[in-house]
Amino acid sequence: MKELRRNMRRVGYLVLALFIGAGVWFGYTVYTQGDAWASTAYNPRLAHTNSQRGDILDRDGVVLATTNAQGERAYLADEAARRALSQTVGDTAGMSGSGVENFFSATLLDLSTSLTDRLVELFNNARHVGSSLQLTVDAQLQAGIARLFPEGYSGAVCVTNYKTGEILAMVSLPNYDPYAANAAGEGVADTAYLNRCLQGLYTPGSVFKIVTLACALDYDPAVVQQRFTCSGVWEYEGGSINCMSGRTSHGEIGLQTAFAQSCNVTFGKLAYQLGLDRLRATAEKFGFNENFKFGDFMIYNSSFPTGVRNMNGLVWAGIGQGEVLVTPLHMAMISGAVANGGAMMQPYLVKKVETSLGQVTRRGESRVYRQVMSADAAQTVAKYMYGAVKSGTAKRAAISGYTVCGKTGSAETSNDKNVATNAWYTGFVYDDAHPFAVSVVVEQGGAGSQLASELASKALKLAIECVN
Amino acid sequence: MRKAERMRRALMRTNTRLLLTSVVIFQVLALGLLALRPDNESPFPLILLIAVPLTTLLVANLMGSIWPVDRAILILVLFLCSVGIITLSAVCPSEDTPRSQAIFAAAGVFALFAGVLFMRGWTSWRRFAVPLAALCLLALASPWAIGEWHDGARNWIVLIRNKMTVQPSEFMKPVLILVLAAGFCNRPRFERCLPPIAFAALCCGILLSERDLGAVLLYFLTTVLMYYAASSNALLCGAGLAMGAGAAVIAYEALPYVQNRVACWQNPWADPQNGGYQIVRALAAIGSGGMFGAGLGLGMPRNVPLYHSDFIFTSVAEEFGLIFSLGLMAVYVLIILRGLIVAMNARTSFHSLTAFGLVAIFGLQALLIIGGNTKMLPLTGVTLPLVSYGGSSLVSTFFSMGLLLGISSLNAEDEATDIERVALKEEVGL
Repeated sequence: MKELRRNMRRVGYLVLALFIGAGVWFGYTVYTQGDAWASTAYNPRLAHTNSQRGDILDRDGVVLATTNAQGERAYLADEAARRALSQTVGDTAGMSGSGVENFFSATLLDLSTSLTDRLVELFNNARHVGSSLQLTVDAQLQAGIARLFPEGYSGAVCVTNYKTGEILAMVSLPNYDPYAANAAGEGVADTAYLNRCLQGLYTPGSVFKIVTLACALDYDPAVVQQRFTCSGVWEYEGGSINCMSGRTSHGEIGLQTAFAQSCNVTFGKLAYQLGLDRLRATAEKFGFNENFKFGDFMIYNSSFPTGVRNMNGLVWAGIGQGEVLVTPLHMAMISGAVANGGAMMQPYLVKKVETSLGQVTRRGESRVYRQVMSADAAQTVAKYMYGAVKSGTAKRAAISGYTVCGKTGSAETSNDKNVATNAWYTGFVYDDAHPFAVSVVVEQGGAGSQLASELASKALKLAIECVN
Repeated sequence: MRKAERMRRALMRTNTRLLLTSVVIFQVLALGLLALRPDNESPFPLILLIAVPLTTLLVANLMGSIWPVDRAILILVLFLCSVGIITLSAVCPSEDTPRSQAIFAAAGVFALFAGVLFMRGWTSWRRFAVPLAALCLLALASPWAIGEWHDGARNWIVLIRNKMTVQPSEFMKPVLILVLAAGFCNRPRFERCLPPIAFAALCCGILLSERDLGAVLLYFLTTVLMYYAASSNALLCGAGLAMGAGAAVIAYEALPYVQNRVACWQNPWADPQNGGYQIVRALAAIGSGGMFGAGLGLGMPRNVPLYHSDFIFTSVAEEFGLIFSLGLMAVYVLIILRGLIVAMNARTSFHSLTAFGLVAIFGLQALLIIGGNTKMLPLTGVTLPLVSYGGSSLVSTFFSMGLLLGISSLNAEDEATDIERVALKEEVGL
């Protein structure tokens, strides 16, 4: 009997521990994720709730979404502008999952108001109106960039303020009309719901050379003096790398010119010189392989290969090919960090949350995400990027009267040489009044020096004009 | 009244008046709220408002004065049952469901008394173990002869078509525990334990053939725990658990139905419209309830499939909120702890094992379904004991609790006799 009691006591402790564990888990998950659960589009309560959704405004107060007198959700009147903002604002059907309408449902409906507030409303018999959200996005800029985007191409343009982290525009094409969004998938291409700035994982190609360069500067500042030889092709054990399909050879070349001309051979050699561990350490400092948790939206994680152990993988990773993947917003964060003296700002989308009674419950705050490189290194990278715009591959990105720095990329996405490369550009304006970073992807847009650079220049010009 | 009898009564009177009062206040407030709903036109909530607190008071006092049972367990059991009736009244579209539940609860109260009587009267457990085991197997196999399929499992038998269906796996839970306790008592050697183990394995096999996976899991885990308590053979029990885990892996590989369940549990958001539908809806309900709940009758728990049976915990969480749901879990813990004390105080290993088994199956069942509702465990279709809608489960759980209370009353009487004996010795001057 004594043993029996002892065993029972043990089992009792076990069951007790399980129950406590279950209670803690339950309480913790509801406390931390309850609002997110409640605010999914799959919660039918949201459609039937008595509470009325709050408005969504842009940074200048332009109403992007509101609830009209009939109780229906209304978006911008101009169709082109409405479509340009579709994935950012979202839709009531919840098709664009990271859209504000979906991601901030709980706030827009104010499901999380306090008990006392709810009781007061109950007694006053008032219809509950949720909070309104002011975004950091400029509607005019976003619609303008969508208009400038080359006809017939897909892709993304992301404009941010690199000093504050505000997202000024997230253009993603193709886009859709939020009025036509439906779960049945009629009339709208599935990929149109995707916000490519946040959820498009692209091979960066040569824009990744910014990271490779930062890595080299970090480990050996004297690398700027080093000379490299480019004969158009570099054949090494287990593979080869070439510049523009081997048609050009850059000859004996310094690092700055190699960066401006986007010499693959030089940067392949540089990556080999650095080694995978160093390159990966720097990439991870820049946010690759990191589980991004920015509170305002859901962004996919960029990745840098961790398992590669051969030389081929290393050399190709150094020029942003192979298994390197990045989102356009992350790329804008990277060039923004170069402009901001190495301090990468945490991007944010919500400028202000205001209850229906006019009480501001939340303000977007500028936060340094991480110091990704030294101010000196950032200065050098910026100088190199300036060189690329001044006399290199990114000439078309120049804006007269402004100091523009940038880097182009032509990312190969297929072994088939007939498939055009994805055109990339990322860069920024060195200007205290207009601290804007940009990243552009034109899918199958050919070389980055053409369409992408031009578009970036136009986008930044527009941003300088209309963002205040 | 004889002196000894008075002393016995005094010893039994734990101070549970405060507990009983708060339970009755809760019932009156909640049912009053439902009766006062502006859209309410029927007299049914009013009837409940009178009947439920009265029944609670009556049963708690009556049973407590007839036998020296553990009143805390009794009151908490009645509380859980009333939470079930109140939640069903608040969330169900028609009165039929809460009305049937109230009728089942009334039958359950009789089962409770029957359980106490049975436990107190049953002294020759050895002789009846074999016939009981045979009865259990027959009952479990009966759905194959006169059963029907419900939600992908064939575990119901039809007594009167469209009127009365019964779930034998529910009613056989106390029988399984009695048989196992009779087989495992008095520290038998391993060979002597083999027949009861084979019997339990046979039960699991039958249930498996009816695809009642929740019941299989409960029967299996309860058997292992009871064998561990009886034999202290942790190694063998570990092996048993490993075997069970192996069987689960095989089931996972072989049955796409099980694979589906696990995938939906791991990431319900991957397929929120089909596979993950239940759990996504359940989480949305829990999240909408928040800390303090939507308010009784104000939420929309009917968006969750099986909101009245398998997912009643999410209905409670949505209507009453997180704090109350955690409180509900605490009530289960209290019943389990009091039940374990009953098991440890029992005078014979048979009674001790029976009480232990009853508590174990009760606790495991609550844990499985609460974990399933909150995405902690993959969902298994078992009821939340005493709260979920369902006659078989309610009546059978009441009977099990009656057995537990019966054991507690025997313990109390034994203790009183002991004390009396000591006092007598002192008087005689020994």
